[in-house]
Amino acid sequence: MSTPVASIAKLLTQPTSGERARQRINGGMRVIVGVAAFLAILPLIALIFFVILKAAPYLVPTFFFNNPLDKEPGVLNAIVGSLQLSGLTVLISGPIGIAGGVYLSEFASPRVVAIGETVIDVMLGVPSIVAGVFAYLILVPVLGFSGWAAVAALSILTLPIMMRSTQEVLRLVPQAIREASLALGVPVWKTALFVSVRTALPGILTGVILAFSRALGETAPLLMTARGTNAENWLDFSTTMNAMPIVIYQYSNAAGDLLIGQAWATALILMVIALTINVLVRGRTVNSRTA
Amino acid sequence: MEGWAIVARPSSYLLNKSVIFDTDRPEKGVGMAGMELRQAGGMSADTLFRRITGTGLLILFVVLTGLVVAFVGYSNPLWTIQSPIDFLTSSTWSTGTIDESGQIVDALYGASGALFGTVATSLIAVLFAAPIGILAAIFLVEFAPPRLAAPLTFIVELIAAIPSVVFGLWAAGDLSNRLRDSIEWWIASSFGRFLPFLSEDPESPAADSVFRAGFLLAIMILPMVVAVSREFIRSVPISLREGYIGMGATKWEVIRDVILPTARIGLIGGVLLALGRAIGETIAVTMVIGNAEGVPSSLFQPGQTVASKIASNIGEASGEIAIGAMAALGLSLFLLTTVISLVVRVLVRRFAVTGGRA
Repeated sequence: MSTPVASIAKLLTQPTSGERARQRINGGMRVIVGVAAFLAILPLIALIFFVILKAAPYLVPTFFFNNPLDKEPGVLNAIVGSLQLSGLTVLISGPIGIAGGVYLSEFASPRVVAIGETVIDVMLGVPSIVAGVFAYLILVPVLGFSGWAAVAALSILTLPIMMRSTQEVLRLVPQAIREASLALGVPVWKTALFVSVRTALPGILTGVILAFSRALGETAPLLMTARGTNAENWLDFSTTMNAMPIVIYQYSNAAGDLLIGQAWATALILMVIALTINVLVRGRTVNSRTA
Repeated sequence: MEGWAIVARPSSYLLNKSVIFDTDRPEKGVGMAGMELRQAGGMSADTLFRRITGTGLLILFVVLTGLVVAFVGYSNPLWTIQSPIDFLTSSTWSTGTIDESGQIVDALYGASGALFGTVATSLIAVLFAAPIGILAAIFLVEFAPPRLAAPLTFIVELIAAIPSVVFGLWAAGDLSNRLRDSIEWWIASSFGRFLPFLSEDPESPAADSVFRAGFLLAIMILPMVVAVSREFIRSVPISLREGYIGMGATKWEVIRDVILPTARIGLIGGVLLALGRAIGETIAVTMVIGNAEGVPSSLFQPGQTVASKIASNIGEASGEIAIGAMAALGLSLFLLTTVISLVVRVLVRRFAVTGGRA
């Protein structure tokens, strides 16, 4: 019926059965990877939904301003404890980590860079419980269960984070800016500090804030160092301190709905703080990258 | 500084090693900036600054050395009463009894139950997280429209920001029961009859199980798998994709034949990195695994991991042998994660050198 020309045209324009199969596979895989992406975000949605649901009845205003043994129990001492522990951790590991990052980026020979980066990789992989056991073995026998031991354990965990992030952002500073500064006769140390570090400062601070947020959520090292307490502790790092993760862990094992409810409420507070920090910091980084 | 000229930069990051030529004193030849800027007598500000920043790096080295020395030193007393082989192979964990003379007898610290739990939970975690994470990363890079990809990536990254104790609380309060009644029940009723390690009494499932801890770990390491996979998939050169598309390949064929083989090493590295994270995760696992001694008969029975064992036992450990057993557990965790970190480093370096075509 069809002319040869028409059948050739048909062959060229109509997909063969093999081609249709390939297209079907393509469409099928598109669906599969989409489902995988959905599955990847599903836990976050489920978790946030469930924590809010469980925590809401216990999140009364007094919960933020009272201590565990008060008539209307609260977690004020855990909130201030967490902020103090993470704050001091960042104050200690921040300058050391930034200094090390500056050295790796601006001064170190290729050999030292290779060794230093390997050590950072290894330290980044150290599980938090290992840092906790280290502080428990070395510091707790000397200092007792104390904020200092907790800060030491947390600093071991945040130090490589700080160093890595500082080195990474300094690497992004264009070499030409450094050369321009040196060509003007600016000493190397001033170039490093007022040109390289100054240019990378927002990125370095982002690293500090993310390290703070990491320290805020650590639990295992705190259980064997700061231990937790019902008392309010302002800046006395030589004795036990309370922290939100400790409260969550201990209350979740406790008997009675009241304590378990308080664990959920504390979890919501901790989660909101951690997520807020990350949303603000990452949102800013994304904006400055696209701008 | 008059008369100084930077004539060459041998490498991009070695500021102080810039080759400097003093035009006023050509007889001195070409030198290194770090050397030339040092003044006669006393320390220059440059050297001082260099040393201060170098101290930061030195402290990190000292901390790592301190970790190794402390764990090796504190675990040493344990090897006076038993061999490392017993530690790795025995599943008995007994602090022993005190005889008439006040000596501790019959103490045996075997960690095979904990080691089994660590390996089992991390492998379960990777089994779920690796395929879903890599496929999700493929979606984010290759299929999702930019308007959808950006917020989705952001949300996945947020999962990593949630503290592990919150994951543990959620799993103990909700997720664990859902898993028990869905996936775990399905696997047990389908395969439990032929495979004893997947069996479970349908009438009275255990309150906690190794499988549920592993699944929770999968959720916790997923963001890491997605983030690393995404980076490596993005790094595949666009020309490779275009070449294959030009030959009439569909999008999936490009992914299967070009992107996945090219990014393979990076993807493996990302999964290993996530494995290391799963091995070290403590508190969330402790809250759902049940902390039972010994090697469980089935994955749907309670167990323990090395990390959860440390967390739940360290408070009671007293005496240098019991503390030594804790240090030995910590040492084995440290060695495991260190080996993984080093392997990942070698893999990723190879990827960087060959551009993925290894």
